[in-house]
Amino acid sequence: MIHVAGLQKLYSGGRGLRSFDLDVAQGELIGLVGPNGAGKTTLIKILATLLSPDRGVAQVKGLDVVLEKQAVRKIVGHMPDVPGVYQDMKVREFLLFFAAAFHVPSVTRPKVVGDILQWSGLEDRADGDVEHLSLGWKQRLVLAKTLLHSPALLLLDEPATGLDPLARLELRRQLKELHHRGVTILISSHILSDLEDVCTRIVFIADGQNMGQTGQAAVSDAPPPPAPVIYEIEFLPSAQAREIAEGIAGMQVLAASEGMLRLSVTGGREQMAKIVSALAAAGVGITRVQPVSELESQYQQLFGGKQ
Amino acid sequence: MNPMVRKELNLRMRERRGWILPTLYLTAMGATIVFAYYIVTTERTAREGLQGATVGATTFLTLSYAQLTLLLLLVPVFSAGSLTIEKEQRTLAALITSLLRPREIWFGKFSSSLLFVGLLLCTGLPIMALALSLGGVGLVELLFTVLTTLLIIATISALGLYCSATFRRSVHSTAVSYAAVILLSVITLIVFLLLFSHWNSTHPGIPESQIPRVLRIPLYLNPYYFLTMGFGVAANISRGEWLICLAVYTTIAVSFMALTWRAIDHSGEQL
Repeated sequence: MIHVAGLQKLYSGGRGLRSFDLDVAQGELIGLVGPNGAGKTTLIKILATLLSPDRGVAQVKGLDVVLEKQAVRKIVGHMPDVPGVYQDMKVREFLLFFAAAFHVPSVTRPKVVGDILQWSGLEDRADGDVEHLSLGWKQRLVLAKTLLHSPALLLLDEPATGLDPLARLELRRQLKELHHRGVTILISSHILSDLEDVCTRIVFIADGQNMGQTGQAAVSDAPPPPAPVIYEIEFLPSAQAREIAEGIAGMQVLAASEGMLRLSVTGGREQMAKIVSALAAAGVGITRVQPVSELESQYQQLFGGKQ
Repeated sequence: MNPMVRKELNLRMRERRGWILPTLYLTAMGATIVFAYYIVTTERTAREGLQGATVGATTFLTLSYAQLTLLLLLVPVFSAGSLTIEKEQRTLAALITSLLRPREIWFGKFSSSLLFVGLLLCTGLPIMALALSLGGVGLVELLFTVLTTLLIIATISALGLYCSATFRRSVHSTAVSYAAVILLSVITLIVFLLLFSHWNSTHPGIPESQIPRVLRIPLYLNPYYFLTMGFGVAANISRGEWLICLAVYTTIAVSFMALTWRAIDHSGEQL
């Protein structure tokens, strides 16, 4: 669905994309993660035909995003980080306008808009003013607008920013539903727990380059690499805790302080039980043991020094 | 119907200025005709045997210039902010990534701007017709005045839209549009007067009607000169000059239209 190779788009100050590569298969739900200024929005804007790259290839379903803009726009839905809406319009009128802008035939337009209103939960607000919607509802409206022409690829730039927890849950539900319908989705976000919940693969981006990924790429036949589990152990201040942990095979101390250890454990829960027992036997007062999100941990390892 | 045209017209007429501006415009036009009539028919001049045709022609000219001045002041308000407002409210990206082509977006903005100004022109027609009733001018003069005014306004709209596509903020775009209006209306006249003064001093005794055309180039850019030449088209006094102005203004409008299409196509860089 997406083929990006050697993509470069640099702004003054050196930010942007530098030789970025990415391949996304049909039906994948890809998360794009990286620090501010990493190039996430630039990549999404290039794929949405808003920006032209300086160099490299960017294709959507085999169509060049620079040379075949109009054809790309027919199959891409783009939702920017800040939802732009016409405040003076009614909700239904807003969707009818964009349905016309996406060349939805006038005969089917009311039905298409009615279906989208129902799907997005905006049916009760259809005849209300856009300006009276909360941020969460505006996000829903913009997502609904993005889906009017049934795009095969959705590009979502920070769609959960500023949403309350309920709105975020609803967004996750909608994304999962779209994914089950076979829509390919590329989503950038800083909310790692959301991405971990919905994405089939997460791509890390920093300094405009692809820094690796989690999960299994649908385009790859290779088996997934064995992923170590990260644990965090909190305990009453102890000088010997680190030494004990380092003495057990299959453990790697990622970070340590006077009352905390962050460990990478390859042997699963059994291995973790060993270290807990060893620490307890040495008289270390353990107060909390918690597995850390793999994504969060990987993010810290990759970008901890950059932020 | 182009969805942009429908959207723009709907939203424009919902704005408060949708009814405030026509009200102010008609008030100003009404005040102008009263003022012009009063000045022309003061007791002293009336005693000198003033004819109705002179009163009608003078009132008509005053109204036409006043109307053009009012519209030149209003057009940048509509055109120069029309694309920047899309950038400011973050809706331009949605328009560009839809299947609307840059020319459709431009046409929607241009036609709504022009149609609103056209509405003002139409609402002012009854006041202009009052001058007709006094004699001295006919329907053809009125039609050429309206046509010339529309052409000037269309060109200024195209220029304002270009500024709107180029700048990020409405305030900058509007300021540059007004600067362009001043350049065309005032600076061109000053440049012509300087050139004429120099020519007059170096060519004593040659009648003013024989001023070389090259000297009049700044005037072909001047909207008031274009309008003035429009008055004499029916009587074939100034048809040639009017046609040159028409060509100049059409060229400006078409050039800015093409530049604006290009700017809209590349405006993703500004978002």
